[in-house]
Amino acid sequence: MPPIRSVRNRKPPPDGFDDIEDTLLDFGNKMKDAENASNEGKSRKQSLWPIFRVTHERSRYIYDLYYEKEAISRKLYDYLLANGYADKNLIAKWKKQGYERLCCLTCIQTKETNFNSTCICRVPRENMKDEGAVECVNCGCHGCSSGD
Amino acid sequence: MLKSTHKPRQPPPPPPPLPQGWTEHTALTGHSYFYHAQSGQSTYTRPIEQPQPPPPIFPSPSSSWVNPSYNNSSNGFAPQNAYDNNLRGRGGFHRGRGRGDHHGHGKPRQDDKPKHRYKIPGCAPWILVKTKLGRRFVHNSETNESFWKFPEHVMKGVVELDRIEREKKARRERGEPSDDEAGEDEQAIAAEMLAAASRVEGDAQGASYAPPQRDAGESSDEYEEVEVTDDEEEDEEGGPSKRPRTESQGPEDPDQPVEFGEDDIAHQLAAMGAEYDLDPEDYDGGGEWDQGEGGLELTEEDATALFRDLLDDFRINPFTPFDSVIENGAIIDDDRYVALPNMNARRRVYDIWSGDKIHELKKRREAEEKRDPRLPYIAFLDQKARSAKLYWPEFKRAHRKEEIMRTTKFSDKDREKLYREHMKRLVLSQATLKSDLAALMKSLPLKSFNCSTTLATLPIPLIVDLRFISLAPSIRDPLVEAFISTLPPAPTESDNEEEEEDEEVMTRKAERDRREQALRERENKVEEERRRQRRELGAGKAMLREEEREIQEAMRRGLRGDVEMGRA
Repeated sequence: MPPIRSVRNRKPPPDGFDDIEDTLLDFGNKMKDAENASNEGKSRKQSLWPIFRVTHERSRYIYDLYYEKEAISRKLYDYLLANGYADKNLIAKWKKQGYERLCCLTCIQTKETNFNSTCICRVPRENMKDEGAVECVNCGCHGCSSGD
Repeated sequence: MLKSTHKPRQPPPPPPPLPQGWTEHTALTGHSYFYHAQSGQSTYTRPIEQPQPPPPIFPSPSSSWVNPSYNNSSNGFAPQNAYDNNLRGRGGFHRGRGRGDHHGHGKPRQDDKPKHRYKIPGCAPWILVKTKLGRRFVHNSETNESFWKFPEHVMKGVVELDRIEREKKARRERGEPSDDEAGEDEQAIAAEMLAAASRVEGDAQGASYAPPQRDAGESSDEYEEVEVTDDEEEDEEGGPSKRPRTESQGPEDPDQPVEFGEDDIAHQLAAMGAEYDLDPEDYDGGGEWDQGEGGLELTEEDATALFRDLLDDFRINPFTPFDSVIENGAIIDDDRYVALPNMNARRRVYDIWSGDKIHELKKRREAEEKRDPRLPYIAFLDQKARSAKLYWPEFKRAHRKEEIMRTTKFSDKDREKLYREHMKRLVLSQATLKSDLAALMKSLPLKSFNCSTTLATLPIPLIVDLRFISLAPSIRDPLVEAFISTLPPAPTESDNEEEEEDEEVMTRKAERDRREQALRERENKVEEERRRQRRELGAGKAMLREEEREIQEAMRRGLRGDVEMGRA
């Protein structure tokens, strides 16, 4: 019989988790709000936008803490990834040139589009023909090209 | 059109009887006019008894330099009448806001006449003329040109002149040329008087007049002002038509039609400027004040440092994302928030700041870690576990709510181990415990444990030892004190490190003071600029009102009446 894990006897999170716990809880609350928000009058994709947004923000937060500010330890970073606080695959893309600000993974799935192209939000601003503000269908991104 | 909000005028009182010889007729257009059969004169204005000669608009004194010429206004406004004529000629805005009727009063500006003339050093033919109301214009005695707006090359001379005058004035106020004699309080009084004088004068002279003795005279803005306004008469009039000049000056008079927004005014000023071929600086010198103005002495580093100070002061948690900080909104109200020009810059600075802060925090934590993680738990045991009555599970249950019993820093196993050891020692005889404590104290190095140590500043290795807490505080404290009194003083060593630290703190503080001073100065400047702009708006409004009055006059009389008037 496997040992029963509860809050009491769980393995404590690595050092430094206390510092970011509040922020992560905030993000969790935001995510819950986004999940429970009514999707009346929205398209099926549109109702997912806030969820994409929170995921992106939270992943970015952890990415910044680990890679930019070097504020958290590798141990804590791994713990956060393992516990689903950040999207590992999205962060893997951010480390690549040209994808530094990528909004979500769906937007670079060329096979899902008619002409095997990326989403509109990947197009740099200067290459757009005065289309004004764009909102991509997948995640509501307004543009995440690295050059912008 | 705002005309609809205008209240209808009261019907005029019955006209006074006509003087002898005058007859009243009605023209084809419906206007009534008056005819004097003997002299063949006809006029639209009602003649009154003892007809006076029309008051001169500007009594021209004998010397040629006083009357600013009308014709050569290529370089800016020619003062007074040229300006006025321009206004009269335009018919752009029909806003229903006539400012009382003051053609019944004498023209107040007839009181304004040249009073003093000053030679401008370095610009030979040009002289600075000060009028009775304190307005100033420059006059070229060779070409007979006069300008309210100082031309560039003359400006320097005027600035110089002003500086000399200010110095003279300062010296006069001190009473003696000896500068060091003047105490601080005396200077303060002088400054206060100066400020009061300028305030009073500012009030008296209307919105757009900049008193020359103002302290900020070094800034050239003062000289660029178009000092022509028709506001001066308002004080003499004191009639019901007196109205607030700027938005901030008071509640709206209920009799008056709705106030224009600032945008309206700005737009109109711009339109007028375009019509008169003016540079925007002429009527809107302070347009740039909100863009941070390049000339201010707040450098980029200073701005950055100010923002960092702000973050420090608000004790922002460096682990929070920037968006949450902004959402929280506490820092937005601070003045230092606007030290940085835009959100991107703020975000960048915040990122760097939070990185630094986190590293600082980390270092401090490491230092603490080095101390001992057991410290709080030992202290807790010292407080709560004074008898060996409880087994570990019972003790744990009794104190399970305590933070120290729940923290993840310290495993349950360690807690249990320490507790059991502590319990074991508690049952030992007092004599053994005392000798153990003495041995422990002897083993400590003299550097950290010497005669200057007090009970509050005991060294960490002593406090975290179980031998220390085995004895109850009531027995332990006298023992420790007695032992400390036998100890020699600490070995002397250089306190260089501390001094260096102190110095660093001092320099940091000085830096910060300087930055904050710079910010304050900038704010004062911006405020000044804003006031100036408001004043100029007031002047613009006054011009508009004046023009409005003219237009209504003209409409009332009809075009032909105007022509007639001109001939008469």
